[in-house]
Amino acid sequence: MKVTELFRKGEFVVTAEVGPPKGCHLEGVVEEAKEYLSGLSAVNVTDCQSSVMRVGSLATCKVLKDAGLNPIYQLTCRDRNRIALQSDLLSAAAFGIDNVLCLTGDHTKLGDTPQAKPVFDLDSVSLLSTIKTLESGYDIAGNELVGDPPTFAKGAVVSPCSDSVDAQLSKMERKVMAGAEFFQTQAVYDTERFISFMEKAKQFDRPVQLGIVLLKSAGMASYMNKSVAGIHVPPDMIAELKADKEKTKAGITGVEIAARIIRECKPYVQGVHIMAMGWESKIPMLMELAGL
Amino acid sequence: MLITQLKNREAIDALISGTCFIVNCHGCGEVSFPAAEAQALQAELASQGKVTGILTTDYICSPENMKVNLESRRSEIDEADMVLVFSCGVGVQTVAGYLEDKKVCAGCDTYRLPGFQGVTPLEYDCEQCGECFLNLTGGICPITACSKSLVNGQCGGAKNGKCEVDPEMDCGWERIYRRLEQLGRLDLLKRPVQLHNYATDDEVYKQNN
Amino acid sequence: MEDYTKYKLKAPDELAEVLAGSDNYFVIACNKCFKEFVSTEETDCEEFLKIAEEQGKTVIGSVQTDFLCNKIQTEKKLKDLIPEGTENIIVLSCGLGVQTIADITGKPTAAACNTLNYRGQHGMALTEKACDACAQCYLNLTGGICPIVDCSKSLLNGQCGGAKNGKCEVDPNRDCAWEKIYQRLSKQGRLQEFEAQPVQFRDYSKIDHKAISDYVKAIRDARLDGYYGGVHPQERKELAENAPLLKFPEPETVVISLSQHSGRPAEPVVQVGDTVKVGQVIGTANGYISSPVHSSVSGTVIAIEPRLHPVSGTESMAVVIRSDGQDTLDESVKPHGSLNDLSPEDIYNIVRDSGIVGMGGATFPTAVKLKPGKPVDTVLLNGCECEPLLTADHKVLLTYADDIIFGLQVLLKAVDAEKGIIVIEDNKPDAIELMQEKTAELENIEVAAVRTKYPQGAEKMLIKRVLDRQVPSGGLPADVGAVVCNISTAKAVSDAVVMGMPLIERVVSVTGERIQNPGNYIVKIGTSVKDIIDYCGGITTDDAVVKIGGPMMGLVQTDLDVPVLKGANGIIAVDPEVSYENPCIKCGRCVDVCPMELSPLYYAKYAPLEDWEGMREKNVMDCIECRSCEYICSSRIPLLKYIRAGKTAIRGMK
Repeated sequence: MKVTELFRKGEFVVTAEVGPPKGCHLEGVVEEAKEYLSGLSAVNVTDCQSSVMRVGSLATCKVLKDAGLNPIYQLTCRDRNRIALQSDLLSAAAFGIDNVLCLTGDHTKLGDTPQAKPVFDLDSVSLLSTIKTLESGYDIAGNELVGDPPTFAKGAVVSPCSDSVDAQLSKMERKVMAGAEFFQTQAVYDTERFISFMEKAKQFDRPVQLGIVLLKSAGMASYMNKSVAGIHVPPDMIAELKADKEKTKAGITGVEIAARIIRECKPYVQGVHIMAMGWESKIPMLMELAGL
Repeated sequence: MLITQLKNREAIDALISGTCFIVNCHGCGEVSFPAAEAQALQAELASQGKVTGILTTDYICSPENMKVNLESRRSEIDEADMVLVFSCGVGVQTVAGYLEDKKVCAGCDTYRLPGFQGVTPLEYDCEQCGECFLNLTGGICPITACSKSLVNGQCGGAKNGKCEVDPEMDCGWERIYRRLEQLGRLDLLKRPVQLHNYATDDEVYKQNN
Repeated sequence: MEDYTKYKLKAPDELAEVLAGSDNYFVIACNKCFKEFVSTEETDCEEFLKIAEEQGKTVIGSVQTDFLCNKIQTEKKLKDLIPEGTENIIVLSCGLGVQTIADITGKPTAAACNTLNYRGQHGMALTEKACDACAQCYLNLTGGICPIVDCSKSLLNGQCGGAKNGKCEVDPNRDCAWEKIYQRLSKQGRLQEFEAQPVQFRDYSKIDHKAISDYVKAIRDARLDGYYGGVHPQERKELAENAPLLKFPEPETVVISLSQHSGRPAEPVVQVGDTVKVGQVIGTANGYISSPVHSSVSGTVIAIEPRLHPVSGTESMAVVIRSDGQDTLDESVKPHGSLNDLSPEDIYNIVRDSGIVGMGGATFPTAVKLKPGKPVDTVLLNGCECEPLLTADHKVLLTYADDIIFGLQVLLKAVDAEKGIIVIEDNKPDAIELMQEKTAELENIEVAAVRTKYPQGAEKMLIKRVLDRQVPSGGLPADVGAVVCNISTAKAVSDAVVMGMPLIERVVSVTGERIQNPGNYIVKIGTSVKDIIDYCGGITTDDAVVKIGGPMMGLVQTDLDVPVLKGANGIIAVDPEVSYENPCIKCGRCVDVCPMELSPLYYAKYAPLEDWEGMREKNVMDCIECRSCEYICSSRIPLLKYIRAGKTAIRGMK
């Protein structure tokens, strides 16, 4: 089911992500997804997230789909040239996977195999445009595809709280131009900054899902502030996490904060995208607290 | 334009079989040659009786210059089981091409240096990609200034205007954005999707052959 | 020879796209580099101007120049060149030039060219061999044939299935690299060695961009430190650095040339058979720019005749004296009293009459510098000794610190300057420390420690480095309020005032890889170079090259039967240089290193054509003959020969 259909129907689209394991056994992922994520609109499957080698996003999407979930195939340009990217997109279509989230991908040097050749033959923008080309019945070299062309709900990401927000907006515009139909954002903590970003992003007229990462501890928040691009956890939030260590450890504080952010931003967005990072079990509670 | 670094000691030891004649090229020395390390290593090899001679010269990438230099030491080269060259990859290939029957090995690894005017390292870099993007980017090269060589704008990895690969390196697309803003040319970012053409080297090759 | 021209003008339709929507251009075209320097004319600029005209565009002005990416020089050249009304800048160059101009001008800048994509990096010389700079050289496994550049797939573990008739699947005209590798290894009997190699993986993280960019910063910093250009030859000072300073044994005879200095030779005032004493005048100055000479021994004049001169290479008049070994002082040698009682004019006379000349090698009569005719605020003492190998000045600094400081006080008084600065390169930390200690209490003298770089000791470089003042083209240090002397000269000035001793001896370092026993000696002027070398155990091989001076500016001596002159700071024996002269390929290195910011490549172009006017226009007269260009020249062109020919011809034209 294309998430674009859901947006069109005016549904508030809630998605969450799962990370495939480093190994070839997918049963665990499927079970966890069935237990905690089956109520959601769709499930993102990450593509060797943070440049760490794992089982493929496409294979994981396939088993999730078989298990009755609606997968969003995350595809990065880090590891494949334009031949492999197009080929994998056709493979996805062959499996009936019709949601794709296009990303440039982290640099190889950031992951567990820094020796690898960083490809970046295409980037997120040209990948979106490539999908549009495939949808027209041709590959990007201009050769005709056999049979009906594939169609996808084409998603992209944006960092609303980036310190270079204007450069991000300009990139968002290019993504729209290249064919992006919906956006998921990097994790948001500073709602004021996010809302002012959304005011500017409104002009592109594309549904946007608010990105949520559950805060597990004050340490995690400080680490993300220091090292993760586009993330800014305000100091009062860190203080809140510090205030009641037991409550934070139990996950309650993080979920409460996330729910508050969702409630504040909900009028400005068309959905939420939750990156639980191992706390998938907290998602039902979050949904309830956020009133979703 | 090329800088060299000594291979590690185990790698060099593994190369040496029997005796060797050593060639050092200081041609780009004004840029970089690990002279002191190479000298220490070679003195040690010599003290073990593994060296028939050491030639320190420059510009062995020039075949004529390399030839007159090697010929001036012919007997020492003939006497050795192999020739060990401390130079960039071009120098090693030139020597290996000339001494075709001899085992010729490289004692160094070669790195590229930004810029290619003379051997002065430059603050600008050009990868000679063959399809200049500078007209779209306010004269800042996205191929070299962005660690992913992206041609359609900033990725999500920039933090505080710095690159995700190196927090001391400015994000190339951040710089491009600022420059275009300053020039009043942000409209350039609305150009059609750019695709990098990787076949431009063949064009040059075909043109020259 | 391969042509590695870096760029090509875009096709007219591509240019139309570049020019669309903009107008009022200033065009900057870079003369191409890395190709044989055949002509100084490039036609691309005209071609572009034609196309621009066809498109109905206005070009306000244009300039063609060399090496746009040389930011410092380009910035100077473009200063005040871009006219009012320029809206856009069009650059004809590779990507480096475009980025440089975009940065310098801050105006909308467009590239009218595409940079050409060569496979791999070529070396300095232009050959078809290339290197991908992969940071993990595989040539050891492949018989010296590069699998990264030469194989179109950059395969590391052997031939793919695509080769046909030994040619590559990508291009049937291209040899399959792995076919060549196989043939070469098989010829060398190394196939087994290859088979035994572990499977190769390429490591793309080996190229550490951060390390490279830090390195680039360090190199640029070193190159531009204090003044533009210069080089860092290997210092090799350790050869003689630790040898003590010894008095050279009394020579049996000395040959004292009457041409010890730049300017007119001295007039002999003794005759054959005369008895002379140490310090006695044997030749008097012959004009304003001239200098007297004195006997360095006591004994008998046995000849006044032409002898081989180590600088001119021809014979010139010399006084030959046989020493009686007594070292009897001449009556004229007596102290001049307290400095307080000496007027500048007195000092001028003492320095002039003592035959003191620049002892760094230039041998300009020092007294002339003491009447600069312009106000001078600073006297710089050059203790850099930037020439490789030489350690004479270093020894003088350590041994005669007090004399040097006193000499400087004398010089300061002579030119009425407020401040004296002793400049020493940081490869002589002991000398810096000693001098700092000795001058700590002196208000008008300071010590400047500077990072090593050749030719730091050249007057103009020293002034730029220490005082950040630019001596104008054709000008003298006094034009910017400075006087520069060598530290050995200052020591000689001190001797002249304190003891009344004229310049009759100097410190010489005898060094180089081919000298048996390197050392540092106090040598009487006129001592035979051959005797000195023999005393040091001789030269170790027949093919050694002997120079008087350092390896950079020293003069090659084929006949060692020459005397030590006042300017001889070193006698060196070094490895012979074997090299092959190739045509200039416009690599730009000479431009990078020339401390006077000249373009030496043109001298090699113009001199053989006897285009002296062209050389003059390229400011050849500003050349200080430091030989940095020749040292760095990737084509091994004897640039200095051309420069000197040009200078001589231009002087003749006047």
